[in-house]
Amino acid sequence: MIRVSHPQDFWSGLLFIAIGALAAYLGRDFAFGTMTRMGPGFLPKVLAWLMMGVGAIILLRSLVLKGEPIQASRFRPQILIVVAILLFAQMIDRVGMVPTVFVVTIVAALAAEEMRWRDTLLLAVGLSAVCTLLFIMVLGLPMRPFAWSF
Amino acid sequence: MDVFANLATGFSVAVTPTNLLFCLIGCLLGTLIGVLPGIGPIATIAMLLPITYGLDPLAALIMLAGIYYGAQYGGSTTAILVNLPGETSSVITCIEGYKMARNGRAGAALTVAALGSFFAGCVGTIVVAMFAPLLASFAVKFRSPEYFSLMLFGLVAAVVLAHGSVLKAIAMVIFGLLLGLVGTDTQAGIQRYTFGINELYDGIDFVPLAMGLFGIAELMANLDRKFEDRSQTQKVDSLWPTPKEARLAAPAVLRGTALGSLLGILPGGGAVLAAFASYTLEKKVSRSRANFGNGAIEGVAGPESANNAGAQTSFIPLLTLGIPSTPVMAVMVGAMMIQGIAPGTALISERPNLFWGMIASMWIGNAMLVIINLPLIGLWVSLLRVPYRLLFPCIVILCCVGAYAISSSSFIVMMMAGFAILGYVFGKLGCEGAPFLLGFVLGPLMEENLRRSMVLSFGDPMIFVQRPISLTLLLMSLGLVLMIVLPSFRKTRNVAFQE
Repeated sequence: MIRVSHPQDFWSGLLFIAIGALAAYLGRDFAFGTMTRMGPGFLPKVLAWLMMGVGAIILLRSLVLKGEPIQASRFRPQILIVVAILLFAQMIDRVGMVPTVFVVTIVAALAAEEMRWRDTLLLAVGLSAVCTLLFIMVLGLPMRPFAWSF
Repeated sequence: MDVFANLATGFSVAVTPTNLLFCLIGCLLGTLIGVLPGIGPIATIAMLLPITYGLDPLAALIMLAGIYYGAQYGGSTTAILVNLPGETSSVITCIEGYKMARNGRAGAALTVAALGSFFAGCVGTIVVAMFAPLLASFAVKFRSPEYFSLMLFGLVAAVVLAHGSVLKAIAMVIFGLLLGLVGTDTQAGIQRYTFGINELYDGIDFVPLAMGLFGIAELMANLDRKFEDRSQTQKVDSLWPTPKEARLAAPAVLRGTALGSLLGILPGGGAVLAAFASYTLEKKVSRSRANFGNGAIEGVAGPESANNAGAQTSFIPLLTLGIPSTPVMAVMVGAMMIQGIAPGTALISERPNLFWGMIASMWIGNAMLVIINLPLIGLWVSLLRVPYRLLFPCIVILCCVGAYAISSSSFIVMMMAGFAILGYVFGKLGCEGAPFLLGFVLGPLMEENLRRSMVLSFGDPMIFVQRPISLTLLLMSLGLVLMIVLPSFRKTRNVAFQE
């Protein structure tokens, strides 16, 4: 196995190449057009290939240059935050603001190791009330406090 | 003088007790919402927009000015206190402002930001009043090639000014441009990268992208740190800058204002560019460069003034070329359109009262901001005492509601989660978000103008160097590259040499 001396750049390079390749693949059917009449595929294709090129240079350089290692991720907090946001997206139309904010607050709060149940429950109740008051009653955003539609 | 007579007209129509009251309410609400972490100026203005619907155009504009400055200042406050930039330009404020807050100098940072912004806003107003009519006549010469070169200049500047690897910044700009292309291609009428999802037909929305990439991603990165490292219990000293800080900040404010007034005129991220440039300049001229990165007050005073002066003078391209130079400006244009005001060259000649009234109201909004916020800084600072474990669930909720409120779509909320993951990964890999964001905003505009230029020249790319204004802009881009990339080449060479 090759020892990567600049892991940040190594993985950035790979990521950029992958994004470029994906953009080129998904945009394969867009017409390129001519210089005078550029088609919808002109810029996407040029940019996709440029991106793969720059990504490749970053990747190659990373084998020579030295850099800091990538800091480890804990994964648990990040996954919980993402789950909380997805829960919000799925719940808000179905059960309304109050239950959604209550549940999402608790799930998000679990992401911190120093979480305390009593404070979190209080926060969840408080946030549900404040959000309903501020966003629905004062600002009049089109959301319902409670709902039941599946 | 003509300018002052015009300004006087503006003030005479703008200053009435009711208008001032609307401005006050707008400013207070703008700050209150804008200061909430995760809600940047864009989201704040968008949320408060409905309040202005019922007012007459001038009163609505004045209230909007209040909201605008309140939201901007609220955004800077969040940037300083909790390291959450609400928009691109406050990314810079975060760098030194947050460090100052950690050193217990949050009050001083906020005071300097408010006073610097106010000074810059005053100068910016005069600059707009003097040069907007002048530039309107110059702007007539602008065609697609000039627009394209101008935006290219903006992107080059963003790459050059990003700290860290230039190559990675280039890749990020390209990625931003690519994402900017998502949506319906208006010329060919086909969908690009939309996967048949309705919410993507008009392109990716800026707000979930910015909130995910900056707000949520930052929070996820924070949660990787040990509890002790991110605990926010820090003492807050006096709210006023010490004499030494004031001595350092005052010239920085002057330089920032000058830079901002100049660069703000450039469409395509003028204010953002100004903040970047001011930070770089302050770092260059500072005698104690070691302070930078550890809470240098010049690093707050300069960029904040530059940003505000730039935000003010970026009304010039908006009013003359019709290009909103920042995402926030784009929202403001939307608000003006609702009132039946179309920004463009015709505004000055056809509705002078409104035009000058608008400029006057910008100044009033600015003044109101200082009046309200200086006494309230203590209150904003006390936000720091909220423990992080309680603060971050609030940020998550507010971002979710903000994203959902754009069009009552849960897809946009899920998209925000996606951008949050992306932003988190970019952070781990040392890739910068700011160039990405600028590429994203300018992408569609650049494509349109590139296409038009090519039609104009029958496919000959030489058109960009044959037109003098375009050529000048391209040479300026080249100059930027040479000026700042060369020393960094030397640096990397030196590093390689040492190994």
